[in-house]
Amino acid sequence: MGDELRIGQKVIRLLNSDITDTDIECFVYYARSDLKLWAGFGGGIAVRGGPQIQKDLDALAPIGPCEAVITDAGELKAKYIIHANGPKFQEEDAENKLKATILNSLKLADEKGIKQVALPAMGTGFYGIPLDTSADVCLNTVKDYLQNDTGIEEIVFCAIDSREYIPFKTQLDKMG
Amino acid sequence: MVKNMAKNNQRSHKAQVVLERFEKKLNRQIVGSLVACVHCGNCTDCCHYVLANPGDTSFAPAYKADQIRKIFKRHFDWTGRVFPWWVKARSVYTDEDLETLQDIVFGKCTNCRRCSVNCPMGVDYATFNRMARGLLVSVGIMPEGVAVVSKDQWEIGNQMGVLKEDYIETLEWLSEELEMEMNDPEAVIPIDKEDADIIYTINPREIKYDPRTISDAARIFYQARENWTMPSEGWDMTNFGLFSGDDDLGGAVARRVYEATRKLRAKKLVMSECGHGYRSTRCEGPNWAKDDIEFEMESSVITMLDYVKSGRIKVDKSKNDSSYTFHDSCNNARSCGLFEEPRELLQIVVGDFREMYPNRCENYCCTGGGGAMSMSEYSARRLKSAQIKAEQLKATGAKYVVTSCHNCVDGLTDLIKHYKLDMKVTQLVNLVANALVEERRGVPVPEVPVEVKPAISLSGKKILVTDDEPDFLTFLTAVLEDNGASVLTATSGDEAIKLARVEKPDLITLDLHMPGKSGIETFEILRKNDDTSSIPVCVITGKPEMRKLIYDRAVIPPEGYVDKPVDEEGILVNVRKTLEVVHKS
Repeated sequence: MGDELRIGQKVIRLLNSDITDTDIECFVYYARSDLKLWAGFGGGIAVRGGPQIQKDLDALAPIGPCEAVITDAGELKAKYIIHANGPKFQEEDAENKLKATILNSLKLADEKGIKQVALPAMGTGFYGIPLDTSADVCLNTVKDYLQNDTGIEEIVFCAIDSREYIPFKTQLDKMG
Repeated sequence: MVKNMAKNNQRSHKAQVVLERFEKKLNRQIVGSLVACVHCGNCTDCCHYVLANPGDTSFAPAYKADQIRKIFKRHFDWTGRVFPWWVKARSVYTDEDLETLQDIVFGKCTNCRRCSVNCPMGVDYATFNRMARGLLVSVGIMPEGVAVVSKDQWEIGNQMGVLKEDYIETLEWLSEELEMEMNDPEAVIPIDKEDADIIYTINPREIKYDPRTISDAARIFYQARENWTMPSEGWDMTNFGLFSGDDDLGGAVARRVYEATRKLRAKKLVMSECGHGYRSTRCEGPNWAKDDIEFEMESSVITMLDYVKSGRIKVDKSKNDSSYTFHDSCNNARSCGLFEEPRELLQIVVGDFREMYPNRCENYCCTGGGGAMSMSEYSARRLKSAQIKAEQLKATGAKYVVTSCHNCVDGLTDLIKHYKLDMKVTQLVNLVANALVEERRGVPVPEVPVEVKPAISLSGKKILVTDDEPDFLTFLTAVLEDNGASVLTATSGDEAIKLARVEKPDLITLDLHMPGKSGIETFEILRKNDDTSSIPVCVITGKPEMRKLIYDRAVIPPEGYVDKPVDEEGILVNVRKTLEVVHKS
């Protein structure tokens, strides 16, 4: 069980979990513009999900900044993966780009009729967006989105460790 | 065409960010090293890169340091602001400037700190070289291998991207083998056992390419009747943050290991033989993670030495009957002072020990340190710089070089092959396990039938063997057929691809160094083809090109890896392990 914030009939939830091995309808992968699944969660997707995912991505690549595409999730527990090209390595205007990336991902999920979406701590870790910034942008963006007209019923943030979980929980508590 | 050309003193965004972060990294230690150099040249003779490239001054530590120092002078030191031409102060303006710096800080230094300990002015070049790496990494400028390993460690939790299920399955497989070997249900590898006296953490290389070091450690713990465990999370005590200069990664990785120790309420955190892992977890990690550690931390070298000296295990040095020398890991010796204990232990478990000169803090780098093994673009430069180490090894006349570091194992293995030395690499854990005098338990083992899974049979398995050496092909075929496998053979990459598509074997063994289509090209084609992408591949090679497959991740890495030369047992263990992991998953 994780922490959660209810917004009417909808919910934002926090989990300590490997997003590529989580039982969820759809999750977001923080992708590169060339859509190569190369390391980190990408390696988890490629190994656990099978080679077809990369083949599907090769047909969709490249994508522009803040854009997102969707594929089946192969043999993963999830049904779909949204591959979103978020800002990286302290690039300019990172916060607005991060927000746009999240919104594009959620819109894509809505277009597909998806009810349940998981996101990682977007852009943190390897790509260097500070955790507090990511928690603030991610949670406020999805909260606003869920308050509007959407078919998404549940958004889950998957933290890989306590370092990620704690700032997301702190931000969630502030919003509660 | 130069990208992001600086015009009218305009900087690229990345260059601007680097300068802003540079200022935040300036502490007393860094500034002291940046201002203290008097260019005496003492460091020049200390660097293995210089010794192997005597005509190229760009390898000299003072020169390399100046490429960072001039930025400091230009922006943060009054001399550079007032007399920039005099003190050679210069800023960075373009992404190309940063890429030039990348070649120096990643490609011409292993952060071994040999120049640091020999500097009469106390300049610690390795420390601000690491800082410069961190600045570049923060704007995404780094070798591809560094990016792959860093991302794996950030997101999967270990630097080789070993998935949790593969880690657990490998430990269970090793545990079953130990139980069968000892014929004792208590001879196991306990996972996530609470309140253990020791929590044992490892290098992911052991899971992926060298599981024998884990089973050797388990045998030693068993004989010592240790109350020990291995964690299912936070088990990777290596830390690529030390190499990449990313203190945030350093803190995140160290914190995971500390949290695993606390969660299981273990009394002592023991790290397997890994130089940078030991330094990162025991010495640097508490600072990176901002964590006051309340439990004891030690290298497994100390643990094993204590077992022998206290009589908890008995050893017979005659079992290790070859000649042995000892290579000091730079991180252990120069940064942590760990050099007497491994020698003491080594001389207890072998009869013929030959010291290497120079040694301890003065020993030369294996040339694989500082993350160099992950940067395949610098392999040729690395192997050339290994000439000094090769000469040092050869002079000992020993048949084995022992080291307490997994990076050194890989670095030394590569250079031994490159320079054709008649020598093998091993670790203390292997020698201690081999020397064990295995005592019977005081209480008779109850005659309870133990459900032990037999080693996976090769009977009915179709295996495609690919190698251009006829003798090795014949040997490999005989070994696999004698154990029940049906063997197909190919002597080139093209033939292997064709046969794999038609025959759909259960496993492909692949040599990397073949005329025509190389093993790497062949492997990538196999991985990208629908018909063959899911066939497990076990690479059998004596060449360092393997590093490219592991670290420059264009496709999923091979499931198995065997280092040449290899004996029958080595082949069977690795082939069975590859098939078993794939079968289970």
